[in-house]
Amino acid sequence: MPSLLHSRIRAKSGSNIIHAFSIHNQIRSLITGPPSSTPPTHHHTTPTAAPLPSPVPLPFFSPEVSAQQSAANGHGNGEAKPLYVPGSQADRLARVGRMSSPLRRGSHESWWSPEMGWFNAVAKTIPTYRVLDEEGHLVKGTAIPEITKEEALAMYRTMTLIPIVDNVLYQSQRQGRISFYMQCAGEEAAIVGSSAAMMEGDEMFGQYRESAALLHRGFTLDALMSQCFGNVEDKGTKGRMMPVHYSAPELGFHTITSPLATQMPQAAGAAYALKLDEDRQGDCVICYFGDGAASEGDFHAALGMNSVLGGPCIWFCRNNGFAISTPIIDQYAGDGIASRGPAYGLDTIRVDGNDALAVLSAVREARKRAVEGKKGVLVEAMTYRVGHHSTSDDSSMYRRVEEVKEWTVVDNPIHRFRAFLASKAWWDEASEEELLASHKSKVMKAFSRAEKLPKPKLGEMFNDVWGVGKGDEVPAVIMEQRAELGRLLKKYGEVWEPWKKERKRFVEEGMDVMDCDGRGS
Amino acid sequence: MLCPIRIPRPPTALLRTGIRYYAAQAGGVAGNGESLKIKSPSARQSRSAPTILPSEPTTEEPSLGESLLFLHTSEAALATPGLRFTDGHGLKGPTGKGRQTRRMNLYQAIRDALGTALATNPKAFVFGEDVQTGVFRCTTGLVDEFGKKRVFNTPLTEQGIAGFAIGLASVGATAIAEIQFGDYIFPAFDQLVNEAAKQRYASGGAYPLEGGSLTIRAPIGSVGHGGLYHSQSPEGFFLGAAGLKVIIPRSPIQAKGLILAAVRDPNPVLVFEPKILYRAAVEEVPTDDYTLPIGQPDNVREGSDLTVVAYGTPLHICQRAIDLLRSPPASLVPFLPASLRPPNPAPSIQLIDLRTISPMPLGALTEAVKKTGRMVIVHEAGKAGGVGNDLAGEVGRRAFEYLEAPIGLVSGWDTPVPLTFEKFYQPDVIRVFDKLVETLAY
Repeated sequence: MPSLLHSRIRAKSGSNIIHAFSIHNQIRSLITGPPSSTPPTHHHTTPTAAPLPSPVPLPFFSPEVSAQQSAANGHGNGEAKPLYVPGSQADRLARVGRMSSPLRRGSHESWWSPEMGWFNAVAKTIPTYRVLDEEGHLVKGTAIPEITKEEALAMYRTMTLIPIVDNVLYQSQRQGRISFYMQCAGEEAAIVGSSAAMMEGDEMFGQYRESAALLHRGFTLDALMSQCFGNVEDKGTKGRMMPVHYSAPELGFHTITSPLATQMPQAAGAAYALKLDEDRQGDCVICYFGDGAASEGDFHAALGMNSVLGGPCIWFCRNNGFAISTPIIDQYAGDGIASRGPAYGLDTIRVDGNDALAVLSAVREARKRAVEGKKGVLVEAMTYRVGHHSTSDDSSMYRRVEEVKEWTVVDNPIHRFRAFLASKAWWDEASEEELLASHKSKVMKAFSRAEKLPKPKLGEMFNDVWGVGKGDEVPAVIMEQRAELGRLLKKYGEVWEPWKKERKRFVEEGMDVMDCDGRGS
Repeated sequence: MLCPIRIPRPPTALLRTGIRYYAAQAGGVAGNGESLKIKSPSARQSRSAPTILPSEPTTEEPSLGESLLFLHTSEAALATPGLRFTDGHGLKGPTGKGRQTRRMNLYQAIRDALGTALATNPKAFVFGEDVQTGVFRCTTGLVDEFGKKRVFNTPLTEQGIAGFAIGLASVGATAIAEIQFGDYIFPAFDQLVNEAAKQRYASGGAYPLEGGSLTIRAPIGSVGHGGLYHSQSPEGFFLGAAGLKVIIPRSPIQAKGLILAAVRDPNPVLVFEPKILYRAAVEEVPTDDYTLPIGQPDNVREGSDLTVVAYGTPLHICQRAIDLLRSPPASLVPFLPASLRPPNPAPSIQLIDLRTISPMPLGALTEAVKKTGRMVIVHEAGKAGGVGNDLAGEVGRRAFEYLEAPIGLVSGWDTPVPLTFEKFYQPDVIRVFDKLVETLAY
């Protein structure tokens, strides 16, 4: 008669429940610390190594019985009691102990509250830190970050260089001379300010709009132009990648790939490696991403892993208002990206992304916290994407041109920083003209040079698919296909016009593939 | 069946497109862009000797948009095999006065299909990243017509979009989601392969609830300058996901009919759209609501010596390669074996549009190959794990005794799609030409 047996056991455990519940009630106020505003009560020290719970009996569920049971327990009389609490009294006490132990840190700042405390924000509003106002004057009560004239001018040089680079390459894409381009326009302060706060040896994970950060780290104009043309001097990506997909391991700049937010968990991994590497103590990772990318699962995966596993990493969000055409209002309903930092236990700041000084000092502080604490820090830089998303985009389809113009006039990051330089008497009209002229000539020189260079050897198409260790052979699948192209090129390379024309663009005109019989160049 | 030949350019341009030979076969060029009708399939299959063009007037290859597979007349468009008007009134239409067509490119035809789906089904939703603007214009303006509740931008999360769409469909709605590029479908892979594909099986047929329908659209393929992350053809990855249907249209007419069929299919359907065709492909598209059958290949050109199977953009490449065989320019004649040169007749080559990648319509293809004895498959994706090897394996097993040559496969190389090298990566006309010759001469 199993049902009878069950109800007997249930009745027995039912009495236990009532007992357990009263114990529970008694010690409720003792668990973890109450908020500072509540009056202190006496505090028990709780065991941190509580015994593991013994196997507990399974609960019995039978609709009829549970209906009777709930009536017996006084349900409906406003005295809700749990139907079943597993384990012996000792187990339950141990569990209560664990709740206040470090094992239960998931809500370690919480306290028991008799009221339903719904909330929708950790702080009511998140302030935006700035040093300079829109016109470049110092904000009252702010501390100017320590910055030497040399540092400031270096930043300014990059901030003024990138618009010229962008302009030339953007126009050249329009003329069909390169295949694609993306500008930094409007985000110069956020990108350069953050880059300037980083040190040599730091690792940088970009999204794709960080050319200025790379230039500030010392990437040459020649290297940049070569990548955009995919020519023989494109050491980073060997002509394989679209323009702006830079790769500069010598500068700690990881290869840009087009998928969004994929760089983020990778940055968490790199930060963990830095944390454990004795030779790299003091180095830090910075990972750039946008307001759109923060919607990807990888964003949450990255912050989650970094917050649990640790590792010095600055999560730098360029919140520029748009993910291609999707405005932030369609992207998130919460308080920006910064509000998510505390959810992952990260020190977080929101900063005026068009204020180069504020970005510099916020990221410097972020770097300090990240390195000292070997942990992640989130910086949300509020800025505005003045340019189109890319050369494939026409932003007038989804935002007014006047709105964009307003941003360039009212809140121009370059003008703001220049006003600061002028106020320090570090900059004047003559230097400005001289600088812009020198930028222009350098950019044009690098541009023409890169454009004239041929494309890499055709065989580069088949290299690096798999890494080949010393003494190992390139996988046959690659060598066969390479040989097949070689055979076809030999056969048709002179008579098939599209190939005849195309071959000429490459160093050795495809001979490297034809001559090697698939043995590699 | 009607074979339309519209003259897209002044006659001088025609010489280089190889249309002349076609016209000759079809019985003479009718003046001024008039369409030509072929009375019977046998007329088209007439096996006259190939015409060798004396010399190339220009050296430029015709563009994709000039492909002979695009239908430029109403009659040809309405004669599309398998075309079924949803109102059930057939070619005469509800008024008895016939059906209208309109010139549309691929994105306009897709937009037309989505608009039709939204207008005919109040429970239909169109959403994805930037769909209110429409980065490829496939969804541009739909929000103005149908409102933001039904046509909306989503946050930037492919896995979110796919999962959201599955959820919508599971309670009986019609979800038409867009992944902005096929290259970015991989975060959604889990939702599509583990959830969408298996939902019906796992729930004993209970989910999605009655009326629920899931369609995911994504542009794929190479445009010549997309590099690693804007050129991929990821269809092969979905071959193992039984329960999903995967279709790839080749033209505006096909796209509209197949998308409307997908939207009304009770199964989850992935529609991969060759993005290079969005603007390049222009056809007369029937304006009314119609569907084309999912799961059936389309016999684009009849032929008896060799079966060429492709889908999406490569079909147009294949068509051009077949033309080169029929009327080879002088420069390519030396590469033809004697059997393929005059006075021998030009080879008769069958061209099949696979259309449905999964479940693969193997029966029809096997039958075709049994008749011709030779087969060449062409696709942009790499060989490994792709449609070509899957198809070759199945057909090879089923039609082994009928095969007179190894099944040919022309595809992208098994490397990522490299930006600067794309012209030597993609299966282009000459690579297909070479494989056709090799297979025919075997």
